[in-house]
Amino acid sequence: MPREAEPSLNERAFVIQALQEGQRLDGRAFDQFRKLDLKFGDQYGVADVTLGKTRLIAKVSAEVTTPYTDRPFDGIFTITTELSPMVSPAFEVNRPTETEVLLSRLIEKTVRRSNALDLESLCLVAGQKCWSVRVDLHVLSHDGNLIDASCLAVVAALRHFKKPDTSIEGDAVTIYTAAEREPVPLSWLHSPFCVTFSFYGENGEITLIDASLLEEQLRVSSCTISLNKHGEICQVAKLGGTPVEAISLIQCASAAVNKVKEFSTLVDTKLADDLKRRDKGGLMAELSAENER
Amino acid sequence: MATQGDRVSVLPGDEIPASLIPSHPKRALKLGPGLRHVPPSELIPTVAGQLVTDRKKNSIWVEYNGGRYIPAVGDLVVCTVQRSGPDYYFVTITEYSSNAILPQLAFEMATKKTRPQLNHGALVYARVCLANRHMDPELECVSPTTGKADGLGPLVGGMLYDISLGMSRRLLMRKSVEEGKVAVLEELGSAGLAFETAVGRNGKLWVNSDNVKTILIVGRAVKETDDGNLSVEQQKKLVRKLIKEMS
Repeated sequence: MPREAEPSLNERAFVIQALQEGQRLDGRAFDQFRKLDLKFGDQYGVADVTLGKTRLIAKVSAEVTTPYTDRPFDGIFTITTELSPMVSPAFEVNRPTETEVLLSRLIEKTVRRSNALDLESLCLVAGQKCWSVRVDLHVLSHDGNLIDASCLAVVAALRHFKKPDTSIEGDAVTIYTAAEREPVPLSWLHSPFCVTFSFYGENGEITLIDASLLEEQLRVSSCTISLNKHGEICQVAKLGGTPVEAISLIQCASAAVNKVKEFSTLVDTKLADDLKRRDKGGLMAELSAENER
Repeated sequence: MATQGDRVSVLPGDEIPASLIPSHPKRALKLGPGLRHVPPSELIPTVAGQLVTDRKKNSIWVEYNGGRYIPAVGDLVVCTVQRSGPDYYFVTITEYSSNAILPQLAFEMATKKTRPQLNHGALVYARVCLANRHMDPELECVSPTTGKADGLGPLVGGMLYDISLGMSRRLLMRKSVEEGKVAVLEELGSAGLAFETAVGRNGKLWVNSDNVKTILIVGRAVKETDDGNLSVEQQKKLVRKLIKEMS
């Protein structure tokens, strides 16, 4: 199995020296993200996120299945991530690397375990039929900070997604095509986003946001905080590495709130733009069978 | 085939008119990368790029930006030491490809006792001296005829930047400003910055200076020129902007 190419000694020494002088390689401030762009596809539930040179596509699909026997009232929600050899020769098909395992685990913890998607609303007939919602995350190019970008892609895709409308009479479930009835959005409770901090220096005294691939390879430890725009923290992951002062973790958390608010506004505006683009002739409100909550 | 000024762009499979193919009374026609000879006399481009001819040397090739570096004899490369064997250093020219070998005595004034000690991750500027298709390439840091280093050898300090193969070829051209259309390094130098660079044909640029900011400016200027495919005028503007930003 090919290992990830390591940066040379010169790069290591220089990046650290530059950070100690307050400079980043691409001239960004320490708490500045690269150019973040979000696009939606023609289909519902396709989000394309570009963060600098990192690019990902998330696609949501839904099908009707039988629920798990121990959870008859809940739907099924799965997130799968894929890091293909297209991203880097260090990744292989069907053999997840540590990066991939950590990525899917963090996304899972952030989106699924924080109950962002109301699973009970996916139930059609208790114990017999439910929706199974699946998010496929494809990484197209990797230039660092996959976690933040993929979390944004997953959340944006799920909020953009609409599942076919259904009606139930007794045990018979009718699924309507898009031509018969306008599809309905998922019942979405809150939008969590991840912000990853990278620490440098002997005691982790330098903190960076949105590290590029090279910066990621050289960090002494990292910390991912997931929270929504109301400041409710869903999870904090600091997996090994150099210990960091408690004070700087608190500073990270407060910086994360501001970043998440920016993400939240970005997703909201992009979704509104997309809705406007689709809503030709203003018929969308009339077509929808949804009730105000 | 599209012609823009004196530049001719070709697509794979295009026909090359005879007027563009150089003809020399004595020398045989030399074909460079990106061209294929179909006997008896047809020339077909195999990649999309700019058709370049050298009438003096009676050679023709296609200049394109992309693909992976394939070692060729005489190329200057910046490589990374992976490990040291009994007589050789094993170095990587391109990430994720098999190692090249660099004899420990192929440095200037190197003897068994004075050879340089290079650790894992050290950078070396070297020349490819053996490149066969199914063998690991061999490198050297000394001219075999004169015994001089000619600027080759271990690279200490500085920063390594990844650039495209096309950019590294342009930087290595003898007249990089006129032919290669890269003026960033000259502009940066005339702006009063003191720095040294080493360009590897394998798409690597090593920059060194006493000042960290200078290295950052040079690296960013070259990378942005490469990514944005900037013209000479735009490059000058970029250099002015970067210097203003960093000072």
